[in-house]
Amino acid sequence: MDSTSKPELDTSERRVDPFLMSVLKSRFEAIVREMTLVVMRASRSAVIKNARDFSCAILTYDHKLVSVEDALPIHVMSMDMATRPLTELFDDVSQGDIFLNNCPFTGGTHHADLIMAMPVFFDGEPLFWVVALSHHADTGAPVPSTYLPFAKNIFEEGLHFPCVRVAQNYQEKKDILRIGTMRNRVPDMWLGDVRAQIGACRTGERRIGELFARYGRDTILGFVEDWFDYGARCARAAIARLPAGTYSYETRHDPVPGVAEEGIPVRVTIDVDPQKGEIVVDVRDNIDNVPGGLNLSENTATGSCRIGVFNNLDESIPHNEGAKSQIKVLLREGSAIGKPKYPVGTSVATTNVNDRLMIAGNCVFSRMGAPYGQAESGSHLPAGVGVISGLDPFKNGKSYVNQVFVGYAGGGARSGYDGWLTYCGPANAGLIQLDSVEVDESMYPIVIERRGVLPGSQGFGEYEGAPAVGGVFYPLDHDMTVVYAADGTSFPPRGVLGGGDGKRSETIKQLPDGGRVVLPAFSEETIENGARIEFTACGGGGYGDPLRRDPARVAATVNRGWLSPQDAERVYKVALAEGLQIGVYVVDEARTATLRAA
Amino acid sequence: MAYQVCIDIGGTFTDCLVSDSGGNISIFKSPTTPGEFEKGFINVLHVAAGGYGLSPADFMRQIDLIVHGSTVSTNALVERKTVKAGLLLTEGHQDILVLREGPRKGAFQWKLDYPEPYVPRHLTRTVGGRIDARGRELTPLSVDDVTSAAADFRELGVEAVAVGLLWSVVNPDHELMVRSILEKELPGIPITLSHEINPMPREYKRIIAAAIDASINPIVRNYIEKLKLALDEAGFAGELLLANCVGGMMPLADMIRKPIYSVMSGPTLAPMAALALSDEPDIIVGDMGGTTFDVSALRDHQIIITPDSMIHDDSLGIPKVDVRSVGAGGGSIAFVDQGGLLQVGPRSAGARPGPACYAKGGTEPTVTDANVVLGIVDPDYFLGGKMKLDRTLAEQAVGKVAERLGVSLQEAAYAIYTTSNHNMVAAIEEITVREGINPRDSFFVCGGGATAIHIAEMADILGLKRYMIPRFMAGLSAFGGLISDIRKEESAVLLTSDASFNVEGVNDVLKKLVEAGDSFLAEAGVEPANRQFEFAFLGRYEYQSFEIEVPFEPKEAALSAGDLPALVESFHRMHERIYSIRADNDVVEFTAWKLRAIGKRSGQDIWQKNTLGDQAGPVEPKAHRGIYQQETRRVEDLAVYEMAELGAGAQLAGPCLVEAETFTAYLKDQHHGEIDRYGNLVVTVA
Repeated sequence: MDSTSKPELDTSERRVDPFLMSVLKSRFEAIVREMTLVVMRASRSAVIKNARDFSCAILTYDHKLVSVEDALPIHVMSMDMATRPLTELFDDVSQGDIFLNNCPFTGGTHHADLIMAMPVFFDGEPLFWVVALSHHADTGAPVPSTYLPFAKNIFEEGLHFPCVRVAQNYQEKKDILRIGTMRNRVPDMWLGDVRAQIGACRTGERRIGELFARYGRDTILGFVEDWFDYGARCARAAIARLPAGTYSYETRHDPVPGVAEEGIPVRVTIDVDPQKGEIVVDVRDNIDNVPGGLNLSENTATGSCRIGVFNNLDESIPHNEGAKSQIKVLLREGSAIGKPKYPVGTSVATTNVNDRLMIAGNCVFSRMGAPYGQAESGSHLPAGVGVISGLDPFKNGKSYVNQVFVGYAGGGARSGYDGWLTYCGPANAGLIQLDSVEVDESMYPIVIERRGVLPGSQGFGEYEGAPAVGGVFYPLDHDMTVVYAADGTSFPPRGVLGGGDGKRSETIKQLPDGGRVVLPAFSEETIENGARIEFTACGGGGYGDPLRRDPARVAATVNRGWLSPQDAERVYKVALAEGLQIGVYVVDEARTATLRAA
Repeated sequence: MAYQVCIDIGGTFTDCLVSDSGGNISIFKSPTTPGEFEKGFINVLHVAAGGYGLSPADFMRQIDLIVHGSTVSTNALVERKTVKAGLLLTEGHQDILVLREGPRKGAFQWKLDYPEPYVPRHLTRTVGGRIDARGRELTPLSVDDVTSAAADFRELGVEAVAVGLLWSVVNPDHELMVRSILEKELPGIPITLSHEINPMPREYKRIIAAAIDASINPIVRNYIEKLKLALDEAGFAGELLLANCVGGMMPLADMIRKPIYSVMSGPTLAPMAALALSDEPDIIVGDMGGTTFDVSALRDHQIIITPDSMIHDDSLGIPKVDVRSVGAGGGSIAFVDQGGLLQVGPRSAGARPGPACYAKGGTEPTVTDANVVLGIVDPDYFLGGKMKLDRTLAEQAVGKVAERLGVSLQEAAYAIYTTSNHNMVAAIEEITVREGINPRDSFFVCGGGATAIHIAEMADILGLKRYMIPRFMAGLSAFGGLISDIRKEESAVLLTSDASFNVEGVNDVLKKLVEAGDSFLAEAGVEPANRQFEFAFLGRYEYQSFEIEVPFEPKEAALSAGDLPALVESFHRMHERIYSIRADNDVVEFTAWKLRAIGKRSGQDIWQKNTLGDQAGPVEPKAHRGIYQQETRRVEDLAVYEMAELGAGAQLAGPCLVEAETFTAYLKDQHHGEIDRYGNLVVTVA
């Protein structure tokens, strides 16, 4: 409990007994957890299962976010946008319907995130939506990838389902699903993953029905309102502790040939009003839509603006409609960082530029000075998380295509804490599972020759960014295609408040004769039998002046193998001496004092 | 008279459950002696001897069997006091224990540092050499790298070495070569090979198991040897068996070979007890203690083995009996957060200071304090009256929550009670949902001291229709030890699929597993007639990377090509049961093959001889007590029965309370209890 700010709750505004608050909160959370488990366990593709690239949520029928558990923030922060068109486009929503939406122009995130939404009825009245979103391995785009930075418009993307009824009266509509399987490189996997989502929706629907039966309509709906009030109170209390003012931050996505030659600047301005307990995030001052897939969708732009703020508030705030309502977002139609203008491409709307938007949101708080904000983190889609495809020589040439998670970027530092190593990107918040080398090698005809931390690649600072992860992998007895979009190759993650930059992203092809070819940052490459692909995923930026870093932390980083003793002395002015054990350094206090005094 | 004994070492007390040859069971307790657990072990046996009016030496001579759930390895891991272990990995993959598979964190949780690897960098070395997924050698093993690592380890003074090379599960040549080199270079140092300790094709889980195993090897060996010595000196000439974490007992020699199997073995005995206490197919077992609530389950009357157990920031790696722990115990602390929401736990007042009502300096409201305020726990009859509780202190503590919430004292106590129940329900659902068990069709067995206070409301929330409060609820784990089988799991990797099923390869694997299992049981002294084998495979749909375990029954421990359709169908069915989906057109892949070797012990079922006399005459309450009822918001007078006064067949109608020396049971309205012939209270919900 915080003694400095006690947003006293007015018990007269309470709709349900306090014990029911705790009880129903935990019931709704349990339902989302159960839905999540159903998707997790029944899905086929590695993106969904290994990488947990999926989310479940419950919304009220009028599209207010009730509960998310273990969800990826970018999937759920604006889930309301994906369900809202359903009630606008359909006047016959019925019990047993399930709708599919993956179209950014009807509120979707990007074409590969298939959002399945099912209404929950009680006594004939629609009261909730249960939603399961999964990132699919393939959506039938012209290129075997779900991330297409060069796809200028939706005609160059995968199949769009702009709010389509895929189940009616609890029965799958086989004709609609056939459209999906026909235009897909891995139709069985696609259908399996879709059915896992359907299973999750039906589980959620059944469980909410049981809640209604037990507690009654009025109690459940009363709880939801109390729950939103609670979220709003928590968010207001957290914002009340921030310094008032207007703060801006700009970061820049890498140049992409033919799409954005100079890169894409991403500007965020926040207006913090501690008295109202409200933050306005303004991203209207950004460039127009670019002719490629890097534009954000309205869903991801809105969500990312809120995520940056939530990353800087207490983690215990419930991320529901109430808390969301304290963060207002201002977008401009036709902006690359805003609402896209039909039919512009948004294939990469959940990562890349979107990552940069969240990064800017994370970092803009550092303009308040220490201890606020965080440093820039690495972003998505180095070749280590590329989409690989080919014909499997061990399965009679059967085709495979999937995104692997061999190695990904590190997190930026914040006051008090070094960056998180297995970060991947702001959209995933360190929740993405890293692939097992052996699972990948048994599933696909590839060998992962090395994969690990690259020492000295972190952004230095009082608190360090996470180091970069790099690796090498290659196809066995066939040619393999890799599609990737390695942002951070030109503009690596920046440090803040005196912290250093993280290592940039790299993509290199190792030729059979030992030659090395630097590959473009955004590309589809064939790695022939005998060749290898080498990648570096960015390290995270540092926070604060390196000379203020606790010498014990410096020694620990050296002992972890992430920093050389020479760099400890050069960068941090910390002198180390061999300790009692080989390979374990201790701080030479006297010499460190001299070095730091100089 | 011949005795069988189970010794369970807890944080505060060492429990000793003794069964005589008539199946009469008694519980004895003595303080745990941290650092020298074998002392408390012998002490409690002396206490038990006194209980039977025997001299320690006479008692010792009359014990046939001691079964024991050791906690030394768990404690060493929890307190991070393991030995210095070196780790050898494949070149290019030095960070397997650093990266894990991405450690878990919350989506908005940023105030945390990345966890350190289980084996620090200066004790980790890599060696050249690579095998691929099909077992082919891509690069030969670098003998120089191994000898140079051995030299480093010698200088570093490592006490054990773990070896984890990629794909050793399909081709162990390199790991075996490493061991033969290390044995020469580091004589006397125990070496754990990943493919032997945990044969699964998922390198982090396999190798973390090897690292944990190596790091506790000398500790477990040392403890077992000291214990053996102490028992020899005390004149014990019977058999000593140790509990493992796969739901059975092992002879000492096996535990010394694979000490990781002793980790977290204690809590796995509770589901074993349930296995014996009930014939129901699906059973949930809940054990609520002071700080945690441990939950486990039986499906089709089989224990459930999980590959996902955690210790600190790491997986345990090996599959073990699935027991999940949440921070919901009698000592869990309730607080109202800044948004006005009541939360209970996971912070706990523990044993010290304990709940406010213990009057040992605790002031924060706990679940036990709420139970006192509600009237469920009688402050004068806690632990049979051996410990007096202070009702006023409980009220003061709970009063803080009442004030913040703006409700009455009793409403606040009920809010704490029910929130805690919902936290436990969430843990139960986590395991039942994951395993495809419907709580509504399941039977619930209570364990630990506090569960029976909470089970009735939890049953109502879950829709559970029947539950049992065993006579020995407070010592359920020790009882489980007493009746456990001898048991060990063997497994091997063989990747194949129904598209091209490698029947010879599978039979080869099964044959080896049976040989290994049979020789284990033979060494444990199990008669051939008492040896049983259960088979299972781990399967998945193509491109699905999580396997599920599917039991099967091969004839004569071998398969023929004609068995494939049945095998595949059993996979589809299990998949459908657990995930409600089956994909008939998909390729089914088989990744690993498992054998459970089970040995039945003589005297294992002796407790069933000891039945309770029939209830004579009408059932009379010993008292009435006021209990707050949320439904009516009133304190209502309920009958209180004394467990010791009830005979077999005694019927109890809820709402009522049943008190025993070691627990209080609260039966709600519509809950009907009956004492079974073993003295257990079995409740049916109307």
